[in-house]
Amino acid sequence: MTARVAIVGIGQTALTGSAGDRLYHELDYEAARLALADAGLDRGDLDTVVCSGWDAVDGRTISDMHTAMSAGGYLKDSAHVGEDGIMALAYAYLRLAAGLFDVALVSAHGHQESSFETVSNVVFDPLFTRPLGPSHLVSLALQASAYAQKHHISEEQASAVVVKNRGNGAGNPRAHIQQPVSADEVLASDRVCYPLRALHCPPQSVGGVAIVLASEDAARRISNKPVWITGISWAIDSYDLGSKDVSRPGSLAAAAGKAYRMAGIGDPAKDLDLAEVHDITAYHELMAYEALGLAPEGGAGRLVDEGVTGMGGALPVNPSGGVLCANPYGAAGLIRAAEAALQLRGEAGQRQVSGARRALAHGMSAPSGAAARTDCALILEGG
Amino acid sequence: MPRRVAIVAAAPTRTSSHRTDVTYPELVYEAVSAALEQAGLQPGDIDAVAYGSMDPFDGVFAPERWNVEACAGAGAAHRPLMKITTGGTTGGSTALAGYYHVASGMFDAVLAVASQRVGETLEAQLVLNTAVDPVYERWSGVGAITVAALQAARHFWRYGTTEEDLALISVKNYENARSNPYAHLMRMLTVEDALNTRLVSWPLRLSDCCPSSDGACAIIFASEERARALSDRPAWVIGAGQITDNYWIGDRPWYEHWDSLSMLARRVYRQAKIADPLAELDVAELYNAFSIQEIIEYEALGFCEKGKGAELIRNGVTTMQGQLPVCPSGGVLCTNPIGASGLIRVAEAALQVMGKAEKRQVPGVRKALAHSWGATIGFHTLMVLGSEPP
Repeated sequence: MTARVAIVGIGQTALTGSAGDRLYHELDYEAARLALADAGLDRGDLDTVVCSGWDAVDGRTISDMHTAMSAGGYLKDSAHVGEDGIMALAYAYLRLAAGLFDVALVSAHGHQESSFETVSNVVFDPLFTRPLGPSHLVSLALQASAYAQKHHISEEQASAVVVKNRGNGAGNPRAHIQQPVSADEVLASDRVCYPLRALHCPPQSVGGVAIVLASEDAARRISNKPVWITGISWAIDSYDLGSKDVSRPGSLAAAAGKAYRMAGIGDPAKDLDLAEVHDITAYHELMAYEALGLAPEGGAGRLVDEGVTGMGGALPVNPSGGVLCANPYGAAGLIRAAEAALQLRGEAGQRQVSGARRALAHGMSAPSGAAARTDCALILEGG
Repeated sequence: MPRRVAIVAAAPTRTSSHRTDVTYPELVYEAVSAALEQAGLQPGDIDAVAYGSMDPFDGVFAPERWNVEACAGAGAAHRPLMKITTGGTTGGSTALAGYYHVASGMFDAVLAVASQRVGETLEAQLVLNTAVDPVYERWSGVGAITVAALQAARHFWRYGTTEEDLALISVKNYENARSNPYAHLMRMLTVEDALNTRLVSWPLRLSDCCPSSDGACAIIFASEERARALSDRPAWVIGAGQITDNYWIGDRPWYEHWDSLSMLARRVYRQAKIADPLAELDVAELYNAFSIQEIIEYEALGFCEKGKGAELIRNGVTTMQGQLPVCPSGGVLCTNPIGASGLIRVAEAALQVMGKAEKRQVPGVRKALAHSWGATIGFHTLMVLGSEPP
């Protein structure tokens, strides 16, 4: 059995639509300062730093030259994952579990240095697929369409996810979008790529998040409310959109299955108190319910119809408002872990799920939407 | 006490300025399949993948996605894959990631793979220039070559190092590369030839600068139990680490020294229980993208005192017949698929420990050092491999 690792510090910037005059690495800096303050530590206490992000999105080759400094990495052992920040957390977990480091800081930022639609097209192979014009949005729409067709998911059911998450986001003072929305408004919003309407999709947000992790002894010394990582797993999907079943995220199902086994979870719908999932579109939240085993295949629609995943339901999903209310691309996955950890510390304010003891956080790392997306599933438990 | 981890297979690919004979996934598969075959493993035996490349040099964003099936079928099997990017240290950082995957206890057999097709890049130095700050430093045209030229100019001024010393470094590496089937530049070079190549950025001449290469490399890290079952002589990881220096080129104190590398070396030697690196190491694979850097690395890594690096090459200490052969592979100076070059250093060090380095084998290697540098010379990684477990 590997060592126990806990979250002992959480720092999130406000999530907004514009960076103002700030550069991408200043978001990592602000988040890292907040996370260190939350943990009651300073830079000198860190053993290792893991940063995240995509150079092509940051518009900067070797973007961690700056972010590693901003996250407190000067003269320390640092690394950088070309992934969403959730994978920086996974890497820091490995470093701590190996017993070679005691305290790690992971950071992520989302910025607007580039047009993500244009950049995500360049993920596709230049010979066969790229000329067809696929992108992040197009591949997500393909998935949503295949899923909705296969399981007769109605547009009303997808829209109900948006209504739920936007309602939750109204209680999150850091969310980019804090206005509730009605089902009629969702259904009347522009079609951006069939079957997705504008309000089925997240905004493009700016912001940073950082998390301090510690090995067991250090965690008990640092924090009186550590949040333990009792299950963690990640998996990547295959690349070619034309040769896989795009109607289900197999990578998420694989990751969740392993994380549940590690945490000793037999029936996730019963054993979890809440979940923060990477709702990159409303349809993808429904697909996640099934991949996470919260509903049988094709049964996700019933969960929203019956309000099971609403704030008053048996298993609230995305009390923070989820990605649909704030999407700093590259940080949105790590924010799921931050929000789930705040719930377990009882510090989620107006969006608190009462008596939350065990939570799931799901982060997606996908530079091109559905083509070879990576999913990471975390099981977190309060002290 | 972390778990013991060893390398059981190491496979660099053939390299050239443009591997037009293969697609990108085929290039990666060339490395991965060779590593699997060397270890006697099937794709299904791999538990996780750490993948390194520097996308901006490939012209493909997130090439690990395109290549995911080439990585032991990781995508179709929904296996864990983590993408590492840290500039020139990418390959070294990918080796560290593979090591930590196994050391954590979560995985028993992990594939570390790195790739780069610099041949797809119109001009790598222009790409690298976008790493530096767009307002304060980019206009100065800084890239790897100009930073290395600053290192050389300072070392010349402070210690009297000469163009002939740089030529000796190049001649040694070119000579070694001729015994390495995976090297890019495989040709005879004399000191006279070297001094007659064109000036690129004073005092660096063409023969002082690495080529731009297409290539990939795969390594398999295994837990102690798996390593002993798979290999009679695995290469054990006995020390490893990374260090991050500051961002601003203008904030670095002295270009003739590499203090961050010295600091990292002290940390890693402590882990590996090495007191006198020149005496205790049997071979070193250093990231010598420019000839001057190999001289400064000798000093920073404690092979000699500061300022005495050129004496080591003048006295033949680091040649194949010397006390501590450096870069039997020919080093980065002869082969540079940027994001893969750091992993190739680890692979070459592992092959030396495993006794599988063929014509470039140094006899009886018990301890080998692998190094990489990255960013605008601000990042370093080190890994020490040994024939005995830690």
